[in-house]
Amino acid sequence: MSEYLLLSQSAHGKLKVITDRGAAYGDNQMHAMTFPFEFRNIESSYPIFFAKEGESGQFYPLALFGFQRDENLYLNGNVWDASYIPLMVERNPFLIGFQQAPDAENGEKTPVVSINIDSPRVSETEGEALFTESGDPSEYLQQAMQRLQTIHRGHEQNKLFIAALLENDLLEGFNLEVTLNDGSNNRLEGFYTINEDKLAALQPEALGKLHEQGFLQAIYMAVASFSRVTGLIGKKNATLA
Amino acid sequence: MSEKISRLVIVGGGTAGWLTAGVIAAEHAISRTTDQEQNNQFQLTIVESPDIKTIGVGEGTWPTMRATLKKMGLSETDFIRECSASFKQGTEFAGWTTGENDRYTHPFTAPQDYSEINLAPHWQALMEGRPRFDHAVSPQSVLFADCRAPKQITTPEFACSVNYGYHLDAAKFAEFLRKHCVETLGVKHVKANVIAVNSAENGDIASITTDSADDIEGDLFIDCSGSRALLLGEHYKVPLVSKKQYLFNDTALATQVPYGNPDDPIASCTLSTAQTAGWIWDIGLPSRRGTGHVYSSAHNCEEKATAELLSYVERTAGAQAAANAEPRKINFDPGHRAEFWHKNCVAIGMSAGFIEPLEASALILVELSSSMIAEQLPANREMMDIVARRFNNKFLYRWDRIIDFLKLHYILNRREDKYWRDHLDPSTIPESLQELIALWKHQGPWHQDTYHIDEMFPSASFQYVLYGMNFETQPSTTTRRSDRLGREAAANLFQKNANQRQQLHAAMPTNRELLNKINTYGLQKI
Repeated sequence: MSEYLLLSQSAHGKLKVITDRGAAYGDNQMHAMTFPFEFRNIESSYPIFFAKEGESGQFYPLALFGFQRDENLYLNGNVWDASYIPLMVERNPFLIGFQQAPDAENGEKTPVVSINIDSPRVSETEGEALFTESGDPSEYLQQAMQRLQTIHRGHEQNKLFIAALLENDLLEGFNLEVTLNDGSNNRLEGFYTINEDKLAALQPEALGKLHEQGFLQAIYMAVASFSRVTGLIGKKNATLA
Repeated sequence: MSEKISRLVIVGGGTAGWLTAGVIAAEHAISRTTDQEQNNQFQLTIVESPDIKTIGVGEGTWPTMRATLKKMGLSETDFIRECSASFKQGTEFAGWTTGENDRYTHPFTAPQDYSEINLAPHWQALMEGRPRFDHAVSPQSVLFADCRAPKQITTPEFACSVNYGYHLDAAKFAEFLRKHCVETLGVKHVKANVIAVNSAENGDIASITTDSADDIEGDLFIDCSGSRALLLGEHYKVPLVSKKQYLFNDTALATQVPYGNPDDPIASCTLSTAQTAGWIWDIGLPSRRGTGHVYSSAHNCEEKATAELLSYVERTAGAQAAANAEPRKINFDPGHRAEFWHKNCVAIGMSAGFIEPLEASALILVELSSSMIAEQLPANREMMDIVARRFNNKFLYRWDRIIDFLKLHYILNRREDKYWRDHLDPSTIPESLQELIALWKHQGPWHQDTYHIDEMFPSASFQYVLYGMNFETQPSTTTRRSDRLGREAAANLFQKNANQRQQLHAAMPTNRELLNKINTYGLQKI
C-alpha cells in the first residue's frame, strides 16, 4: 500500500519528481478516471467507459488504455503515444487528501496536497524540484497544485454527472469480446456505457435539463468515444505482430 | 352483484396483509381516476384495525423475497435502510444431534454442480477425517464463521455472489410495505375495525361492516387477520387442523438483545440452538438481535423455558442484557386450516396456519399464496371455485411438505431429554416421512425426490439436514457405472469447492462493513 503524506516544505524540501513516462513509473495502467470537462480531449484518443469504484460501488467515468490489468497500449517504452494525457495520470505522484481542521464544524474537511512518498517518481537526485532554493513552491509544484484543484472540482462534477446519468437510466453494463489477429479472445467485463436507446428516447424536458447542467455534450462525447475501441484493438494487434 | 372479480378486500395489515397487497398490486394495475375510460376497475382495499398490534415475529425470509421486492418496484437500498435488514444465507443448527457442541448448516446454495452430479455418496465414501458435508459441497458456509456478506458494494441491488434472503424488523417491514402500497401502487388503506361480515345469497361474503367507515363491498376477501382468522375461521368456521402430534412446540418466548458494541459482527445465518424441550432462535439485525425460545408446553414449563432463554442471552450478550430482557410469551396451536380458500374468501398468513419458526416458513407462504392469487386471479365468480380448488390442493400439499421437512430436523437426534426421545417415536412421525427415511437409508435424496417444479424444499435441503446430522445412506448394492465415472468428477468438484471457499472468503466484506457502506453509498441498481 502506498503511503501518502501531507506535502510540506520542511519534510519534502529536497524532493524532486521525475516526469518521464514509462512502466517503471507506474504508467502501465489499464485505465484512469476522467472528468466531463476533459472529455473532449479524452475522446480524441481514448474510449470513455464507466466503472464502479471498489470501495463505494459508486460509478465514475474512465479512459480505457488496455484490455487487461497493467496493460497500457498507448505506452511505447518511454513515450505515451497520444495527443493528450488524462489529468489523473498527470497528477502522479500527488493526490488530494482531506484534512479535518481542529476547529472545523460538522466534520468539514479541507483539501490538502499529499504526495505518494513510495512512488518511483519521487527522487532526491533526478527530476523537477518541488521547492526553490528559497523554500517557495517551484513552478512545477504550482502547476501540480493547480491540477489537483482542477481534479477536486472534477470529482464534484462527476458526482453530479453520474447522478444525472442514473436518474435518466442512461448507464448500462456491457461486455466486449474482441477476437485478435492471432485468434485469441479478449474479454472486457465489468464496464458500463451510455445506453443509446434510452438516450434517443429521452423527452425534451429531460434533455433540456441535461443541457442546462452542461452534461449533454459530455454524454455525446462518451458515445462518440466508443469508436476509439477500434484503434485500441489495432494497437493490441500491433503488439502481436 | 358483479360477476367480474375486480374488487379485492384484504382484512388485516401486518406483514401478511401488506405483503399480499404489494404482490397483487405489483401484478394487477389498480384503477386510477384517469383510467376509468380504459375500463380498468380493479381495486384493492386493505382494512387494518388501528387497535390490534401485529405479532411482529417472523424476522427471517427466504431468497425469494429479493424477487418479490424487486417485482413490487422497491429499491433494495431503501428496504435495507428502512427495515433494519441484514443478509440471511441459511440456518446454523447447534446441539440438534447430540447436544454436545455439534453443528451443521443449511445454506441457501445447493451443492456444487447439483443438477449434474450427486456429491453426497462420494462425500460419504470419504469416510473418517472428511470435512463436514456443508463445508465439502458448498462454498457458502465459509462465510458464516466470521459473519461475511453474500455480495459486495459493487454488486447491483438484488444480485448476489452467493444466494441470500433477509433478516428484518417485521414492524418496520410492514410500515415500509404500507407506504409503498398506498403511495405508489394505489392500494386503498382503511383504518377501521371489522364489526360484521355480511353474506350474499350464495354464501359468499358480500361486504364487511366497520366501526368507523362505510361498509366495504368486495368480490374476493383475503383474510390476513392473524391467528384469529376473522373471516375463514370465525365467519366460515373452517376448522384449524392441529399438527401438534408431529411438531410439539406450541409456545414462544421472544425478546430483543442489544449488541455489546455497535460494531459487533452481524451473523450471516439464523442460529438455531437446541434446548431441553425446544430451540432458541437468534437473528442478527444491524441494530439488535432478535431471539426467542420456542418449546413444547407439554415438555417444559414457562419458568424453566425462561431460565434457558435468559441463560442463553447471558452467555451470548452478557449478564446485563439478560437482566434487561423482557421475554414476551406467544401461544400458538401448531397447525393449519382444513382449507384455505372457501367461497370468495382466502386466508394468508397466520390465519391460514402457523407451525413453528424453524426454517422460516411463515413469510415464504405469504409470498407463495399471494403470488398464486396474483397469477391466477379468477376472471369471474364461476372461475373462482376452480382456482380455489387448485389453491387448496397446492397449499395442503405444501403444508404436508413443511411438516415433513421440519419434522426431519427432530428425528435424527441422539439426545437424552424426553422431548427429543418423544420425537423419535414413530407414532409422532408422518407416514410420508417414515417412508422417505426408510428409503434414504438405501438411496439418498436427489432429483427424483422432487415431485413438483415449485417444490418448497428441494432435495438439496434434505441432504443438508440428513448429512449434517450424520445420517448414513448405505452404499449402492450394485456397481453403478455412474458412480465409477463420477468419482473423478467428484474429486474435482471437492477441490473446486475448496478453492471457491478461499476466494469467496477473501473477496466478501463482513455483513457489518457492507451494511455500513449501503447506509453511506447505497447499492447501484445496475
